[in-house]
Amino acid sequence: MTEMAKDGGARSGGRRAPDLRDLARQFLLLELWVGLWVTLKNQFRPHITVEYPKETVELSPRFRGVPRLRFHPETSEELCIACHLCETVCPDDCIHIVSEKKPDGKGKRLVSFEINYERCCFCGLCVDPCPTKPLTAIYMSHDYELADYQRTGFVAPLKHLLDGSDPTEYKE
Amino acid sequence: MFRTEEMDINMGPQHPSTHGVLRLKLTLEGEVISDIRPVIGYLHRGVEKLCEHRTYPMIEPLTDRLDYVAAISENLGYCGAVEKLMGVQVPPRAQYIRVILAELQRVASHLLWLGTHALDLGAMTVFFYTFRERELILDLFEAFCGARLTYNSMRIGGLYEDVPAGWFDRVRHFIDIFPSREKEYEDLLTVNRIFKGRTVGVGILKPEDGIALGVSGPTLRASGVNYDVRVAQPYSSYEQFQFDVPLGANGDTYDRYLVRMEEMRQSCRIIRQALERMPQGEVRAKVPKYIKPPAGEVYHVVESPRGEQGFYIVQVAGEMPYRMRFRAPSFVNLQALPTMCKGQMIADVVAVIGSIDIVLGDCDR
Repeated sequence: MTEMAKDGGARSGGRRAPDLRDLARQFLLLELWVGLWVTLKNQFRPHITVEYPKETVELSPRFRGVPRLRFHPETSEELCIACHLCETVCPDDCIHIVSEKKPDGKGKRLVSFEINYERCCFCGLCVDPCPTKPLTAIYMSHDYELADYQRTGFVAPLKHLLDGSDPTEYKE
Repeated sequence: MFRTEEMDINMGPQHPSTHGVLRLKLTLEGEVISDIRPVIGYLHRGVEKLCEHRTYPMIEPLTDRLDYVAAISENLGYCGAVEKLMGVQVPPRAQYIRVILAELQRVASHLLWLGTHALDLGAMTVFFYTFRERELILDLFEAFCGARLTYNSMRIGGLYEDVPAGWFDRVRHFIDIFPSREKEYEDLLTVNRIFKGRTVGVGILKPEDGIALGVSGPTLRASGVNYDVRVAQPYSSYEQFQFDVPLGANGDTYDRYLVRMEEMRQSCRIIRQALERMPQGEVRAKVPKYIKPPAGEVYHVVESPRGEQGFYIVQVAGEMPYRMRFRAPSFVNLQALPTMCKGQMIADVVAVIGSIDIVLGDCDR
């Protein structure tokens, strides 16, 4: 139990009879000056507002933007092995994969891989079970500016997922 | 020719001080409230039903969207419930990190409450200062899990991954600077005569009424009832931390303010202890890839910033729950609004709603 309970809410009521000091405090508006001193101090602190379209904040490495696919950093092959795990765990059904058997008979390869960003909730659950090691084929990128003029622009095909989509040009 | 009669007016659903889409039917006698009926459900999304068609890991992003101001508390409660059902022991390091996250979330949620509550009562300055500090916490969450509001920060059996390098130092830096910042809010509000005039003696909730209505959290503790889930039914190793449960004396709006201010200090105390005694080791217990808990039912409660947040799961077979039920503290605490408001002036309703600290996403689910 803290002090507050011990003094029986004396702070929270002012139910005791006002003495001379209280009257002086009331007359001199001391409690208002205390607050104004706080606001005055803050005038000299650095600004923290970020003027967004002109400047952007630095994102942390783990920032979860739109999910994308990646190539192998050295061999630049597609990392995805078309195992459909991300499609299975996605809570929003926004991933759609079509795969086919590889010509040499071993494993599968992607025919198409679509993510519908309209449905995606950026939860990152698709990255969790991705079996490719050490880099996961699907990852949460740092792209977050997603506005578009058409709904079809939100369905990202394989090419956009790998190379990144072209930014939307804003019209006046 | 002249007569007096009661007047019905609607407050909301589009009203800035109802903190969401809450509609209140007020019956007024002059400016005095004789009856008040909350009408809820404008934000109902059927989350409980949605859960019945999703596997257990898929439900966690949904719990983010219940109480979107304190999503980590919901994650913690949901994961705790499933872990209880499966009998999984979470590694100690993950439990401690979860405690740090939950307490940071409590501070962030109380800061949002403080800013908006003060804004409702006409003190605009506090709003900017609290959001400045809340931003620091959101940056910490972003560094940890990558999101700023709907975190999906935990996984069943622990955490997705360990904290990034230097994260604990950033948390320590935050709890070092936070007490001086909190003193600034106190300077602005605690002794301020306008704030006291709007809150002292307004919306009194008697302890027996609070218990009878099932109120929990700071709203109940401000009435002097010593009930905190963290102490009563410790979870995620809360029994290993020393902290005080602040209690109010009068149960009015001002006491609820004082209790939450003290809770933020206690949260910093818990975080400091957790940082000092942080165990090493794994952050994720071994759970199967496809989570199929044994048949049974489980109820797990956590102390969210709003009160007692419960998760009830009925599991029959397979990967999806048969029934999912959330005990939403906002929903239950809102039922105390008529008790608090009867006989008050109409302008006091704004102060009282603010002091219950409801989130309509949690209330309507």
